[in-house]
Amino acid sequence: MSELIVNGAIRGARSIVERAEKEYSVVLSKWGAGQTVGFPNTAYYLPIVYAIFGLQVKSLGDIAQVLQHCRRLLPPIENAAGSAYGIPQALDAGMATLFAEEIIEALRYVTTPNLYTKTEDPTGGNLWLGAADDVILRRRGVEFVDGSAPGFATILGAAPDKETASAIAAELQQRNLYIFMCGQNHDISFSEQLNQAGVQVGWSSRLVPFGQDISSTVFAIGFAVRVAMSLGGIKPGDGPANMLYNKERIFAFAMPLGEVSDEWYANAAGAINFGFPIISDSNIPEILATGAGENDIVVANVPHDKIVSRALDVRGLKVNVTSIPIPVAYGPAYEGERIRGDDIYLECGGGRTQMVELCLSKRTDELEDGKVEVIGPDLSDVPAGTKLPMAIVVEVAGRQMQEDYEPILERQIHHLLNYAQGVMHLGQRDIGWLRISKKAVEKGFTLRHLGVILHAKLHQDFERIVDKLQVRIYTNAEDVNLMVAQAREVYAVRDPRIDGMTDESTDTYYSCTLCQSFAPNHVCIISPERAGLCGSYNWMDCKASHEINPNGPNQPVAKGSQLDTRLGQWQGVNDFVLKASRGNTNSFNSYSIITDPATACGCMECIAAIQPLCNGIMIVNRDFTGMTPCGMKFTTLASTIGGGSSTPGFIGHSKFNIAQRKFLSAEGGIKRVVWMPKMLKDEIRDRFNARAKEIGMPDLLERIADESIGITEEEVLPFLTQKEHPALTMEPLM
Amino acid sequence: MNDNAVFELPKQSYNGQIRAVTLGSEGKAVTVGGESCYPFHCFEGALPHAPRIAMEVYDTPPTDWPDAALAPFSDVLSDPLAWARKCITNYGAEMICLQLAGTDLNGADASAEQAAGIVKNVACGIDVPLIVWGTANHEKDTEVLRLVCQTCQDRKLIVGPVEEGDYKKIAAAAISYGHTIVASSSIDINLAKQLNILLSNLGVPDNQLVLDPTVSGIGYGIEYCYSVIERIRMAALTQQDEKLSCPIILNIAREAWKSKEAGPSDDIKLGEATKRGILLEAMAAWVLLMAGGDVAIMRHPNAVSLVRDMIGEMS
Repeated sequence: MSELIVNGAIRGARSIVERAEKEYSVVLSKWGAGQTVGFPNTAYYLPIVYAIFGLQVKSLGDIAQVLQHCRRLLPPIENAAGSAYGIPQALDAGMATLFAEEIIEALRYVTTPNLYTKTEDPTGGNLWLGAADDVILRRRGVEFVDGSAPGFATILGAAPDKETASAIAAELQQRNLYIFMCGQNHDISFSEQLNQAGVQVGWSSRLVPFGQDISSTVFAIGFAVRVAMSLGGIKPGDGPANMLYNKERIFAFAMPLGEVSDEWYANAAGAINFGFPIISDSNIPEILATGAGENDIVVANVPHDKIVSRALDVRGLKVNVTSIPIPVAYGPAYEGERIRGDDIYLECGGGRTQMVELCLSKRTDELEDGKVEVIGPDLSDVPAGTKLPMAIVVEVAGRQMQEDYEPILERQIHHLLNYAQGVMHLGQRDIGWLRISKKAVEKGFTLRHLGVILHAKLHQDFERIVDKLQVRIYTNAEDVNLMVAQAREVYAVRDPRIDGMTDESTDTYYSCTLCQSFAPNHVCIISPERAGLCGSYNWMDCKASHEINPNGPNQPVAKGSQLDTRLGQWQGVNDFVLKASRGNTNSFNSYSIITDPATACGCMECIAAIQPLCNGIMIVNRDFTGMTPCGMKFTTLASTIGGGSSTPGFIGHSKFNIAQRKFLSAEGGIKRVVWMPKMLKDEIRDRFNARAKEIGMPDLLERIADESIGITEEEVLPFLTQKEHPALTMEPLM
Repeated sequence: MNDNAVFELPKQSYNGQIRAVTLGSEGKAVTVGGESCYPFHCFEGALPHAPRIAMEVYDTPPTDWPDAALAPFSDVLSDPLAWARKCITNYGAEMICLQLAGTDLNGADASAEQAAGIVKNVACGIDVPLIVWGTANHEKDTEVLRLVCQTCQDRKLIVGPVEEGDYKKIAAAAISYGHTIVASSSIDINLAKQLNILLSNLGVPDNQLVLDPTVSGIGYGIEYCYSVIERIRMAALTQQDEKLSCPIILNIAREAWKSKEAGPSDDIKLGEATKRGILLEAMAAWVLLMAGGDVAIMRHPNAVSLVRDMIGEMS
């Protein structure tokens, strides 16, 4: 922390504590130790003192021990060793400041009982409300807990003029924040400025004029600590828990406007204890984040027209998007809608023109949330039946956003656009295909609405990773071609990063217990080279899913020490599976079909089964309804191996998994595959051939039998022999 | 065979316990849960609080009930407070469940203010715990139950259903005013657990939470509900799953009585119309108490009395 701030805060704290002591001795001598003190109608005494120490200050006499705490927390005037004070001392001084100010305010309720209105809104020309009582606390505090008010801004001092003040207030109100106003600057306060500008202040407009003195800052923090105690279940006296609750749950920040005095520094240091950052318009030293995951603490010199958005960025406030303002209906019901022939107003991609979709992660300060730009002709500029090229570029910023999530968000574009009535979408990446119907255009649909949909839905569905999002839609050939080129560069970096991941390259696998509703003992362990058996989740999906929903079915699993390299068994995985399977499975092997293979829930896309006669493995996919060489159809096989049991000789797996390097690697991998339905061969041909080439057998797929060769082992074996299938010469399976 | 061999009953060993939750305000408060064994397995563990029955009362006169269900309450159908008092005085109800069917968007669509007024009136007029049940419409329940929580802040109500789609707003209001929450999820142990985690993250204290895993009547999938409740109990009692260790509430009466079989019929094979609904209700409630329910919300006094006798014999 900058020396200037530290020293300022400590000086300010000292002067406030001394003021409290002085005023205390005056009041004490006049009213006596037995005089009742406290804020009006509250069960939380002096709330900050109560929250941190559990001390119930009820009378003037009780204040003495609070002052002792203040003194204890204040660093001595001269540091004995001569070395400079640092952050810890400044933070302690900040706490001393808050306790001292609570005393000052409590004394004020004794000496000048009518200074504050003690109401929800200003009354009888008196602007200053003072401490919120417990009725206000409950009614307003609920909004902090349920998210309808994400937090509050504490404004110290005043804006340069009343116009600036009302502009800042309006901007904060739009974000549903409460605005707590304390102190003044050059004899004018922010509250008075709003009042002069004709803005209604009071709890009902969320613009709360607490007090004129800087010490009224404690009403803001006192409100926050009471929310933690009354609604967060934090026990009085548990200071650290209270501070953590406020840091993590209440999106609050302090906004000192105007010259920052020592007393303000002292209050700021107090606020920082609760994780509330300081956003200032004046030229004070900054304290910025020093590493990833950390937050800026003091941000200075912010122009007034940027100060609110900057504050929201620093505090990481999310946008809460509840509705999708588009002129057509929206929902999964329209996903399968087809738009054909004469109904088409605009068509993009699908081989007729070039279409590309790209999601990119950006820095928070590079984006303006909700901005949608259409560059090139829009629907109103072209006649029905037009074909245009198109590029959709979604830019996302967020604290939790990572490059690895780009493809996951990008993949959503397909179904999110499809949900709109009158919009049909197929494909992805640089083979997208979009049609917009005449009816949608008649209802007023424009290309900008595509961006509106993506902004709203990605915010809703990926709340935790998306902080800001903007969309650009290009419809002129020149820009689209540029974007295609850029997209292909991105793919060239992105694809190898994900495909190239190995099980060895990470210490964390993910669990999936989504299916435990019907297979209570089953747990999937998903590693980079072993996708989930349902085909819906690969390792990266699980990682993102965990980020989005930390309490959900995908939990990180520290794989721990490797117990068997060939079979694929790890201590950490075993420990996790034992617990997650409720004691049912104590170990399994990820890479084997014979030795303790993985369990299956029932959702597998494919089932592999050993073929003893052929010394190999057959694979059947769910879509194939015919008989297979193991004598069972898919449905019979599925009911045999599902339900969370491990069945040696059989495993459930996804289609994608077949061409992954670890697929049955304990038994020799895809070289063992002797039979697959033709439809499955066709579906996975490209990836399978690539993997076959990797192992030096580029024509392997042609040597694998299918239903046209036979549906019994006896029928298949001659074919394999004729094709010199590698399985026939491999070591015996059993 | 050795003559001295003594038969020993094989016993299940448990490592978990259901949390005891006190419903309602002091005096006539009712504590449920607390068991450390499977339902009624008193030979294996403790059952400190036998299951309880809450009798239901409607905010508006029911229009689709069979005569058998209407008969005992014909004099009080349009007065929820009188209805509640009759349940307590005449039929010994230990708890009341006020069903806010009148707030249904597809029905009378009563306003939140109207509903809160009725709740307040009933809450002030009785001294046993009061459960308030909405219509499971997220927007409407949010509006209604939030106001109910605020209006009845001097009573400790039990409010529900609180679902994933509306938990933030309703639960925040409930904890703010000290009410207990019914966490409701649709027949899935994972959803139930996840909602409980979400609620506890929001700040709902463990002792202000009961679980509604969704129930259905006999012939309408009760076996699935049975399995889910049974699984939740297994997780809580034998796998120490704290997030599922809460008392379970069964909103079963309306499910039993809305079935075709409980209604009027010319088919004599279905048996006597006056007894059919009662028996269906009693059996459904009993089946689900056997699965692990702690509170059954019931309608007909005769069904209540049948189940109450069974509970007495079993615990």
